[in-house]
Amino acid sequence: MTIHRDSSRAIPADRRLRATLGQRSATFLGVFLLLLVAVFPILWTFLSSFKTERDIAVRIPKLFFEPTLSNYLTVLNSQDVQTGLINSAIVVGSALLIGVVLGVPAAHVLARYARRIKDDAQFFVLSIRFTPPVAIALPAISIFQWTSLTDTLLSVILVYSLTTISTLIWLGVPAFQDVPVELEEAARLDGLSSWGVFFRVALPVAIPSLVGALLFTFVITWNELLMALILTSKNTTLPVVAAGFTTLGMEVPRGLINASAILLALPPLLLIGLVLRFIDGFLEKKS
Amino acid sequence: MLVLSPAMAYLVFASLTLTLAALNLAFQNRSLQLHKYHYVGLDNFVRLFSDQRFLNALRVSAYWELLTLGGTFLIAIPVAVFLCERVPRRYQNPICLALMFPILLPRVSVGLIWRFFYAPTIGLVNFPLTLLGQRPVDLLGSIYSALAAVAVADVWQWGLFFAVIILKLLGTLPAAQIEAALIDGARLWQKHLLITLPMLRGALLTMAFVKAIESLRSFDLIYTMTNGGPGIVTETIDLYAYQVGINLSGRISYATSMSLLLLILTIVVFTVLWRTTRRLAK
Repeated sequence: MTIHRDSSRAIPADRRLRATLGQRSATFLGVFLLLLVAVFPILWTFLSSFKTERDIAVRIPKLFFEPTLSNYLTVLNSQDVQTGLINSAIVVGSALLIGVVLGVPAAHVLARYARRIKDDAQFFVLSIRFTPPVAIALPAISIFQWTSLTDTLLSVILVYSLTTISTLIWLGVPAFQDVPVELEEAARLDGLSSWGVFFRVALPVAIPSLVGALLFTFVITWNELLMALILTSKNTTLPVVAAGFTTLGMEVPRGLINASAILLALPPLLLIGLVLRFIDGFLEKKS
Repeated sequence: MLVLSPAMAYLVFASLTLTLAALNLAFQNRSLQLHKYHYVGLDNFVRLFSDQRFLNALRVSAYWELLTLGGTFLIAIPVAVFLCERVPRRYQNPICLALMFPILLPRVSVGLIWRFFYAPTIGLVNFPLTLLGQRPVDLLGSIYSALAAVAVADVWQWGLFFAVIILKLLGTLPAAQIEAALIDGARLWQKHLLITLPMLRGALLTMAFVKAIESLRSFDLIYTMTNGGPGIVTETIDLYAYQVGINLSGRISYATSMSLLLLILTIVVFTVLWRTTRRLAK
């Protein structure tokens, strides 16, 4: 106990050198438990997605089993999942493209030329991001009924574009503010037009932060469920298809549910390293 | 200025149209199946406050806010302090990578993963119980534990994510200043409770603000895990609005009036917290 109290007084670097064996193993155990909590639920579902139904429905969980790809094959061959996958790709891709083409230049203008309205514009953009999805989708459906766009991908793209544009402006403004003003002024003196300044100076310098913003926007639109659920019925996206497995009262085998949960999670998880680097950069700038 | 206009024009146009459409709908008695409808004034709003199921949804949403907001920080702060004090810097990044996994998952996947975890008889949560010869429990099926069980999944995502952010923020604090402020003999928890965490109060409040608003939109998680059940024990406002407006009866006007109230609630939370954050951060 005395050792413990002594060590907490010392500065961290010192203490680590003096850490006793007991302390070190306690730390090790703590970290191990933490990692277990963070990753195990995902890993367990991942493992179970390679199990046959017989290997899942047991009282004593099986760690060793003969893996099978049949769940994935069934899921990928299902018409609903195929349509969902293609629709998700189209919807998220188009909404991101609209977001980039409209939102990124707007962020640059707000950061550079429109200082006076910048705060108000940022508040407006942020308030769109924070509007409850149900308060967007319900009135939207009445508008789409009126324009006969119900249950179309276009309706989802139009609504998702609100998210992508506002998020990219919100995160793009600080990214462009970090570009040195002198750099842009020098370019202008060299005779570049404002588009020239944007494409040849501001964009290349801001691109690392913008990639982070783009990733974030991709993750939130790829993961979105409620608005797609309200706006579409047959012509729908992957999250709606996957969620339907449990809520439609169908008897869907566990293995298939697990495989589709993993399939849906795969694209965002593949980006994890990039996202972490973006957070590092963002916090470094702030401090 | 020219470049600003298409993006802003679309955002302004869309939010104006949607607001007008929402107001228009909320004062009608429109349903998705019928083509006849007329204006009913404030009827929908009056009816909301005598609708037991709506009042239940308000209550559930309030509990949900408290559970997830409280739970998130109760996990995030101790985990961040533990990692900051005990784990050398070079090991912190790989650990952060693992802690970031849950937040990146689609909420639908999180719902499916935890549903599988909680499943009676075959779920892992029940394995220790069955091992001891006890009867398996259905945590998502019981009126006492369902909301808390879903909240665990939410805190699993946000608590670990905020732990990463707080850890990184602790790393950006100037060490000299902490050492100077450190009264000789201060315990570890005193150091963090009295010095480092107050230094981060602006950032912590912003995080609480983001989480409070994110929690108001937890439809996807609850929908996949319990669909509001058992009964209506886990039915939050957005879930009820979806059930009324789309799924069960298609009474879109009534549902829209509900979503307008949710919007007002969000705006109140948003404005109050935005102001407090600004004031306290200074």
